[in-house]
Amino acid sequence: MKFHWFNLMPWPYLPDDFTEKHRSVWVDVDSRLFDARKANRVYNDYLDLLEFAEDQGYDGLGINEHHQNAYGMMPSPQLMAATLARRTREASILLLGQSIALYDPPTRVAEEMAMIDCISGGRLISGFPVGSSMDDNYACGVNPATLREKYHEAHDLIRRAWSDPDVFAWNGKHYKMRYVNLWPRPIQNPPPIWVPGGGSVETWDFCAKHQYNYSYLSFTGYIRGAQLMEGFWRRMEELGAEFNPYQAAFAQQICVAETDAEAQRLYEKHARYFFSRCLHVYPGFADAPGYRTEATLRAGLATQMAGQSSALNQAASLSWQEMIDKGYIVAGSPDSVLEQMTRVATSLKVGHLVCLLHFGDMPNELCRYSTEMLATRVLPKLRPLWSEYEDHWSPKPMPRDDRAVPRAVTDKRGSAPATTHPVAAEAREVRS
Amino acid sequence: MSLQKLTLASSGLDVHYYRAGRGEPLLYLHHLIGIAGFEPALGKLAEHFDVIAPYAPGWGPAKDDLEKMDPGPLDLTLHFCDVLDALGVASAHVAGISIGGWMAAELAAIAPQRVQKLVLVNPLGLWLEEAPGEDPFAQHPGNPSEVLFADKASRKKYLVDGRNPLDALVEELLNLRAGAKFLWPIPDTGVKRRLPRIKAQTLVVTSEHDAIVPAAAYGAAWQSAIPGAKLARLAGAGHLAELEQPERFAALVTEFVASDRVAAVA
Repeated sequence: MKFHWFNLMPWPYLPDDFTEKHRSVWVDVDSRLFDARKANRVYNDYLDLLEFAEDQGYDGLGINEHHQNAYGMMPSPQLMAATLARRTREASILLLGQSIALYDPPTRVAEEMAMIDCISGGRLISGFPVGSSMDDNYACGVNPATLREKYHEAHDLIRRAWSDPDVFAWNGKHYKMRYVNLWPRPIQNPPPIWVPGGGSVETWDFCAKHQYNYSYLSFTGYIRGAQLMEGFWRRMEELGAEFNPYQAAFAQQICVAETDAEAQRLYEKHARYFFSRCLHVYPGFADAPGYRTEATLRAGLATQMAGQSSALNQAASLSWQEMIDKGYIVAGSPDSVLEQMTRVATSLKVGHLVCLLHFGDMPNELCRYSTEMLATRVLPKLRPLWSEYEDHWSPKPMPRDDRAVPRAVTDKRGSAPATTHPVAAEAREVRS
Repeated sequence: MSLQKLTLASSGLDVHYYRAGRGEPLLYLHHLIGIAGFEPALGKLAEHFDVIAPYAPGWGPAKDDLEKMDPGPLDLTLHFCDVLDALGVASAHVAGISIGGWMAAELAAIAPQRVQKLVLVNPLGLWLEEAPGEDPFAQHPGNPSEVLFADKASRKKYLVDGRNPLDALVEELLNLRAGAKFLWPIPDTGVKRRLPRIKAQTLVVTSEHDAIVPAAAYGAAWQSAIPGAKLARLAGAGHLAELEQPERFAALVTEFVASDRVAAVA
């Protein structure tokens, strides 16, 4: 089994009265709550955590895309992937993902992913989400009536741009390009493709057709997620796909301490910050008309999603033990977490677990503690799970010895007076 | 009155429409939520006119035709010309409400020979930054069109009661989807540039409690852009005035269209 370390990058300074004074954490969130100077530390702390997770042996480092969102500070996951490509050596770069329908031309996504794959030596996992309605329709202004058409066309264009060695013309409904000819191209052809979804039937069929990984990124945990994943596996069986747990990923909030009591003491307030403030979304931005297809509405999944959003609203009022019992979080001592995570993996039948170890306003050092506890005390016992299956959805990087080694950061300019090049010194003399 | 259907030779699209009454033809173009059966307002208009009320491509039974329409005005305008041709109507009075007001204005601007008199009720399609109004497409998904009514209880009364609630909600959302295709994310359709081309005598109507199209600002904007247009106000009405105030809606249209004493209305 594979374990990925994922950070949403929430803004940790939302005020205590945020939910009373503001209607949404997303789309029309009050920009006056943002402070760019504090963001300097926030971004660097979060990137430090991702790099720390590489040291701890996590299989992948996860990042994603949100816009105008105070719980997800990555409008461009590509930028995060670029710095991780230089500053890490082994872990997969789980770019989960880029909302491809937002970019015109979509070949820009193909180009950037190719650059990341080249720089990282073939460690990229490319996530192709449709994207949330809040991001795509409301924050970025994409028409919900044609969003899915654009998504599918962008997907087809990117796949062909990666694979067709010749210049070709693309005469689509939404994109027209006379000369498509990608330069650079990815090392992996193509990088593994994961499709994050929230339970639409069309997405399941799309994953089955192309043999993509389906990633269910939920904040309501594995007990509620089990029903949806059961639907996914049933659909895959109906479509004749051979079962392989690595074709699915699931995201779960996790925190580990020495004892169950210590876990509550250390993490409860940060979990509450996440469930109450970070998920405070105005319902009018949840679901633009046309964002979901009629089939999805008809299948009753919209109803289920409405149930889920109220489940999210409930989370803030649950006791700590209820949050664990209902699966919103996996928490406790290493033994407790092992027992809960075994249930996560076996009840959902997923080979990839996206571990949300940072949540809300959790400080860096605390998150490092939890990250290390999970890596050293729990994961070794879980890794043998699903070893009888082959993982076709992880990157196949270049051999380690063939990969370029980035120059180390020296900080010479910060720690010593800057030396002046003789030519520059001469020029200064002439001017004076 | 039952829904009728014909197939257009030019585009191959099916047209689903109500047709009732005698007199001069009057083309009714519906609002964001489509047509709720043979509505009382249509019955009232049919006392004076040969009323033709088609679903626009994308709405109601024509939901699957949405993807065949470009978001601009041309495909829709040609479509309504095709509908008039298929029904043997050379020209008609046209009354449009909400997004139907936009469609009616485009028809009158692009194909002026097809339009006799024009009534635009709470028309969408212009954007005034100083008076944006509520966003009709950013409402609670379980109750998406409540904001379109003056009385909060009206949505249930006119759109849900007597129907399977899931069917009603799905149709409501699909109808809003169709509106979004033409108006997302800001209802600035570019019609403003074309409005001076309108030749028909025009009545612009706004509604006192329209949350989407603020009455004063948009009434003035539409009136000033259409040569010689008159302006009227429906007191107490919301955006979907023809559902909540069918008699007054029909009376306003009838009075303007049937009378040559245009000035009396204003």
